[in-house]
This record gives sequence, C-alpha cells and structure tokens, in this order.
Amino acid sequence: MSSIIDRPAATRGGVLGWLQVQLPKIVLAPTCVITIVFVYGFILWTTYLSFSRSRMFPNLGWAGTKPHENLWANPVWYKALENLAILGTLYIGIATVLGLFLATLLDQRIRQEGFIRTIYLYPMALSFIVTGTVWKWMLNPGLGIEKLMHDFGWTGFQFDWIVNSDMAIYTVVMAGVWQSSGFVMAMFLAGLRAVDDEIIKAASIDGASLPRIYVRIIFPMMRPIFLSSFVVLGHLAIKSFDLVIALTGGGPGFATELPATFMYKQTFTRNNIAVGSASAVMMLVTVAAIMVPYLYSELRAQKGVQR
Amino acid sequence: MASLEVENVVKRFGPVEALKGINLSADDGEFLVLVGPSGCGKSTLLNMIAGLDSITEGRIIIDGQVVNDVHPKDRDMAMVFQSYALYPNMTVERNISFGMEMRKVPKPERDKAVMEVAKLLQIEGLLKRRPGQLSGGQRQRVAMGRALVRNPKIFLFDEPLSNLDAKLRVEMRTEIKKLHQRLGTTIVYVTHDQIEAMTLATRIAVMQNGELHQFGAPQEIYDRPANTFVAGFMGSPPMNLIPARIGKNGAGVNAEIATADERTLRLQLNGQAASLENRVNSEVLVGLRPEAITDPESRDAGAIIQEVECLVEVTEPTGPDMLAVLRLGGIEAVSRMRSSSRVRPGERAKFAVNMSKAVLFDPETEQRI
Ligand SMILES: Nc1ncnc2c1ncn2[C@@H]1O[C@H](COP(=O)(O)OP(=O)(O)O)[C@@H](O)[C@H]1O
Ligand SMILES: [Mg+2]
Repeated sequence: MSSIIDRPAATRGGVLGWLQVQLPKIVLAPTCVITIVFVYGFILWTTYLSFSRSRMFPNLGWAGTKPHENLWANPVWYKALENLAILGTLYIGIATVLGLFLATLLDQRIRQEGFIRTIYLYPMALSFIVTGTVWKWMLNPGLGIEKLMHDFGWTGFQFDWIVNSDMAIYTVVMAGVWQSSGFVMAMFLAGLRAVDDEIIKAASIDGASLPRIYVRIIFPMMRPIFLSSFVVLGHLAIKSFDLVIALTGGGPGFATELPATFMYKQTFTRNNIAVGSASAVMMLVTVAAIMVPYLYSELRAQKGVQR
Repeated sequence: MASLEVENVVKRFGPVEALKGINLSADDGEFLVLVGPSGCGKSTLLNMIAGLDSITEGRIIIDGQVVNDVHPKDRDMAMVFQSYALYPNMTVERNISFGMEMRKVPKPERDKAVMEVAKLLQIEGLLKRRPGQLSGGQRQRVAMGRALVRNPKIFLFDEPLSNLDAKLRVEMRTEIKKLHQRLGTTIVYVTHDQIEAMTLATRIAVMQNGELHQFGAPQEIYDRPANTFVAGFMGSPPMNLIPARIGKNGAGVNAEIATADERTLRLQLNGQAASLENRVNSEVLVGLRPEAITDPESRDAGAIIQEVECLVEVTEPTGPDMLAVLRLGGIEAVSRMRSSSRVRPGERAKFAVNMSKAVLFDPETEQRI
C-alpha cells in the first residue's frame, strides 16, 4: 500500500528518469575530458619533452637532464630571469601602490566618480597586444613622445628607453602598469567601500586624522586584497608574453627577453623543443609556488565560513 | 562631567529633513535616552552631538559653549557603536589604547589605564586577542572599554546592546547602569527598545520621524504620555487606547465605553471634570495601562478605583501574571491580572479600573487632553 508513496520520484518513467539523473554529467563530460587532455595531459607531455632529445620535432628518445642543463647554461635564460625579477617587482609594486592610491582618492566620494572609474578601468579591456603596439608607437623616438616634444620646439628632449638595452625593460613595466593599475584600483575600491563607516567614525572620535585612519586602520584591513592583487599581477608578470612581443619583440638584442618569450623562441624558432619545454616547466613550477599556497588559504577560509 | 543642550537642531540630507527642530538638554551626570522606532533620526542626532555629522540649523552646547564647529576629537566624548566598530587589525589592547596613543599619552600610562579598564570590565584575559576571535558579548565589552578608558566628558551610546542575545542584553543593561552610578558621567544613549529606555534613563526623549514627541522623566512619560504615539510606543503591552464618549450624569462627567455585549460602561472622570465640561458628547480616547485594569483583589490602595464587569475574550498567562483580553469600545483591551486569577475566556468577570491612572486623548489631534 504505502510503497507507492515511498518510491523516490526519480525512478519513475524509465528512460526519462535516467536522463534526468545523468544529463548534467553527460553535458559536463566533454569539457571535463578536454580540460584533462589539453591542460593536464599537455603539462605531462611538456614535462616529458623536457627530458627528451627533441629538436625541431618532438622526439621521444630519452635525454635525461641534458635539456635542463643546457637551459641553465644559457646566458639568455639568465637575462630572462633577471628581467622577470625587475618586471615582477616593479610591475606588481607600482601597480599595487598606484591602484591603492587611486582607489583611496576615489573613495572620498568625489563627483563624476563613475566616469573616472571607467577611464581607469578601460586599459584592462584592451589586449596586451594593443597596449604593446600603442606604447611602441608612443615610445618610438621618431614617432612618439620624443618627436612630439621636438615638434613643440624642445629639441634637447630625449626619451629613447625603448631602443636602449639598459632601459628597455622599464618600458615594459610602464605599459604593464598602465594596463593593470585600473583593475587593481577597482579591487581596492570595492574593499574600501566595504569598510564599516562606524569604524571610521570611531577612529575620528579617538582623535586620528584621516591619513592616519587610512594608514593605521583601513589599509591593514585590505590585507586579503593585497594578496589577491599580488597573485593576479604575479601570474600576469610570469606569463607576460604578448606585451613584450608587441612592444619590443624581446629586443633590443635580448634586452627584454622574458621566460615566456625565451620559451617560445627556443621551441619554435631555434628548433630546440627540449630546452623550450624545460623552461616551460620552470615557469609552471614558479606559478605553482605562488598559486598553490594562495588557493590553499582561500579554500581553507571558505571552509571556515561554511562552518 | 558636562551638561548638554540641543537647541532647535535641524538636519537635512538634501531634500530629506531627518531632524525637524529638536530641543533637549541634559544636566551634568544625567542619563539621557533617545528612544524611537528605527529611522526616526536618533543616530543622526547622536552623530551631530559627537561632531561626526554637520548641523544644518540650530546649536549644540556643551558646558555653555557652542560646539557646532568643534572637531569630534576636541569634544572630549567617547562613543560606543551598534556594530562595536572595533579595529579588526589590532589586538584588544591596541583597540582600547588607540585613542590615548593618538593623544600622545606615554606608554606606561596607557598600559596602566588599559589594565584598569580591563579589570573593571573583566576582559583581562582577552587583551592579546583580535576582535575576530571574540564573541559578540566580548566585543561589546571591548567597545565599552575603548570608551571608558578615555574618561570623557560625555559618553555616547548608539544601540550598544541590540546585537546581543536577550539574556546578555539584560546583564549588560544592568552593568551600564552600575557604571553610570559609579562614574557619574553624563550619558546620551540611543535605543529603539523602550524597556532599555525605561530602566536606564533619568530622562527620556521619545522621537518619531525626526520629531521629538516628549521629553521627560521615565515615570512621567509612562504615566502621562504626551500623545497617542508615545502611549503606544512606551510600555509592553502598550497602553490601551479605548474609544469613548464623554457623558454627564448626576455623579459628574464620565466616559461611556461600549462593551462587546452591547452595554455601556460608565467610567467616572471626576478628577478632570472641570476641563471636560466643554467636551461633553464628544469622542475621546481613554488611555489605561494594562496594570490599571486588574482583578479586584490586586487593586492599588489609595487610588480611585471603579469596579466594572466585562466579558473576557482570551487569557494569556505570562508566568508572573496573566493578561486578559477584553473587548472595550471596539478594541481589544489588555488587562494585567494576577497569575492565580480564575477568569476564563468567554466568561464575565469583575475588574478594578484604576481611574487615577487614566489619561484622555483627543482622537483628532492625538494629543493628551
Ligand atoms: N547620510 C545620509 N544621507 C541621506 N539620508 C540619511 C543619511 N543618514 C541618515 N539618513 C536618513 O535619516 C533618517 C534617520 O536616520 P537614523 O538617524 O540613522 O535613524 P535611527 O538611528 O533612528 O534608526 C533615515 O530616514 C535615514 O534614511
Ligand atoms: Mg541608528
């Protein structure tokens, strides 16, 4: 008698019921397979290639650690690492400070805020290729800012960093900061807006001036946002490829070579797939060293919230 | 130690008039409570007293000096907020001493003051923790400590207890009262809870929609509410406002109230006879607190008592006493009986009405007559 009521709804109507249960899995399966093959599969494939005798074409012959040794004997690789260190430090540092500064100014509830915010956010909507190309023109001594100043009559003006091997890497920093600081600003602005007004009131009754309130109380509250912006900017710096290709092409010489451009050139123009793969593995390890602790702490925080 | 005066204070946010001309004053050592439903402008007024909001019109005077343009940090006030507003990145100790640090008090003195306050509030064990590691009640204590340590002229409280659970709220209420008795500092305290207002205040200001309805001692506000809003807002259950008609017979002026069984109750209004002569035959609202309608055995001695018979609709035992709901003048009137009372729903029973506690309101203007 009661079995009619007890029977779970999903087991009704044979095929339809089966479909109802299985449909989500069926829909998700292709993306799942694609991700596994093209992300994790190729990570393993690249890792294997970095221990192989591949030159122009993949070659499965085992070469042991030889490609890695070659990589670490290559002066261009060291230049790429040095550039990455400069770019990483300056790009992350300047974009964060500038973003925080702009966000703090915007947080004073000035008029036209929406308009200003959009202006700063727009560069983020451009691809790095566009940013790189535009900055290449602007920085080109014969076309851009230097030419403009000369045309205005300031003939002594010189701004040739992009063709100067010692300074070229700083033009990459400039373009990168220009592209990303608006995004960092938006993140900080959201964080600043979430600060309870009563905390600011309490601090001003406590006798703190506005700059002090920011430095002593509000900025320390932005800790999670500093962390997120570090992770976002950090992995952009490590992966940065298109910006350099469009802006300087890695030159002059190999003055602005970065690990990503190094990898590309070794793999596809220097017929050295094994060394290219070895450098790719190094980059993966570096990104993982940043991302894994971050993801770990994020996931732990989320669990804490659910509890 | 300070006195406070609020003179014709108006606050506008653009076209919105949040405060419409408030007049208040608190003597040195007074416990002034601003009470009213939320959105009535209490926090706005408190922020203006603290100097956190500008004053559109009017004056705020502390110890005889107009402070309209004095910066909050120079007003020597301390404030406890509803959200506690603790600095999340600092330990409890730093939270409490931050104000002194900003005022350049030397470290040894700060430490001593923090220890004293921590002892007073029994939070010595929490000094090294951060606000995120504290319970709501502990955070509340820290917020109090941050205010106390400053030893200010005036304490301002903005609904400090409304985020606590019921039991803790009652405990902290008592502690705040004890603190006031001990320190004797002037306090301005905002709440939407009329019980908090009654228990703590030496004077209460009842507000609604940016207007001050009544300003007076708690007992005065309870016994003689200025209008029907105050009558309904203060007291739980609220004052019964029973529609009646002024009549006149041989015994004098009375209020005629229709009962559920189509009879007319006549309550003698001899105390106020003179002022009611010109209202004969007009409608009024008779305000009676639930405890002014009791069973005859628990009547107040020495009061003008009138016994009436009435049909009981519902009884609601509350523990210490029993509420009986009667239908009087078309509304449900609540009476407070002893818990041992034998009245039954649907039966008639005798009630003693304390007419010396009755107040009358004009149904048109809603003001007390
Ligand atoms: N900064 C503001 N801008 C505009 N309106 C405000 C602002 N602050 C408060 N108000 C309005 O003023 C009224 C009183 O608010 P508030 O003082 O916070 O009420 P309460 O503390 O009594 O709940 C509310 O109607 C609120 O919407
Ligand atoms: Mg409020």
